[in-house]
Amino acid sequence: MDIASSLAIVTLAALVHASFQLSVSVLTLLSGHAIGAKHSHARVLRLTFGFVSGVGVMTLLALSFVSLIFLHIFGYDAPQFVWAIACGLLVGVGLAVWIFYYRRGKGTSLWIPRSFAHYLSDRSKATKSSAEAFSLGLTSVISELPFILAPVIISALVLIQLPSNWQLVGIAIYTVVSLVTLFSIWVLINSGHKLSAIQKWREDNKRFLQFAAGGALAVLGFFVYVCKIVSDASGTF
Amino acid sequence: MSDETYIIKRKGQRPTETFDKAKLHQSITAATLSAQAPSGQADNIAYAVTNYVLEWLESRPEVTSHDIRLVATRHLRAHHPDAAYLYEQHRTTL
Repeated sequence: MDIASSLAIVTLAALVHASFQLSVSVLTLLSGHAIGAKHSHARVLRLTFGFVSGVGVMTLLALSFVSLIFLHIFGYDAPQFVWAIACGLLVGVGLAVWIFYYRRGKGTSLWIPRSFAHYLSDRSKATKSSAEAFSLGLTSVISELPFILAPVIISALVLIQLPSNWQLVGIAIYTVVSLVTLFSIWVLINSGHKLSAIQKWREDNKRFLQFAAGGALAVLGFFVYVCKIVSDASGTF
Repeated sequence: MSDETYIIKRKGQRPTETFDKAKLHQSITAATLSAQAPSGQADNIAYAVTNYVLEWLESRPEVTSHDIRLVATRHLRAHHPDAAYLYEQHRTTL
């Protein structure tokens, strides 16, 4: 697989990651509590930036960690069966996202363990400093792992094949692209857009977001399968 | 007496408690401020909604916290629909 195809896969995986909504929900709650508690605009900005930074750092660490593990286990090229499992995981998680991602009923409740959801909700209310918001960002990525693990795994498998300088570029691309949604919401909130309008848009379009995320995961799984397994078997690419 | 109304917490996970007017006022104020209403307006709306809920509670010795949220949301919607939406959505955002 050439560098351009590898980075394209990493970018698509990061876009799928960006379409997941847990961190956006926590950011919405955090902003709502901060504004409701009459914090100054500068403080709301600091808190929410701390949160976005935490999400970015944990995403970077998660991808680097999984890549390092794979590098130690498989060297610079993972065996075909590992690629096949990763592709299966992508398609499987894609189907699971189509079926399970949002809970039934009003709102944007997700299928994550309720204890995690209550913890994040309570912490978003109790967060008073940027450091706490940063750690909340770290935790929200961990809570989202059941969904983001598949794109992270496939990105790690792609990255370990690349020369070391391109590995760093790939990790940077993944981290930046996966933060696109969260960063956009951060900009909207801090530029004075109404939280109610943002949340209403998310609720109105939740089925589309769910379909897009699940569909993109399945497409990514199929694309990597063709790029890596089928092309290696037939000697092309 | 509304002060002696007992509130059964959501799904019975936490012990029953007596109705706290200040707590409701504070949550309505926070939701209204989150919807970018000015501080004074948020306080006035919270005062009106809290009084409405107090009237509603007068003939009810025991209600659930969910009932209070529904009644408060219904009245808040008349004053500030965006704030009512945020207040209603709070539990179902995550």
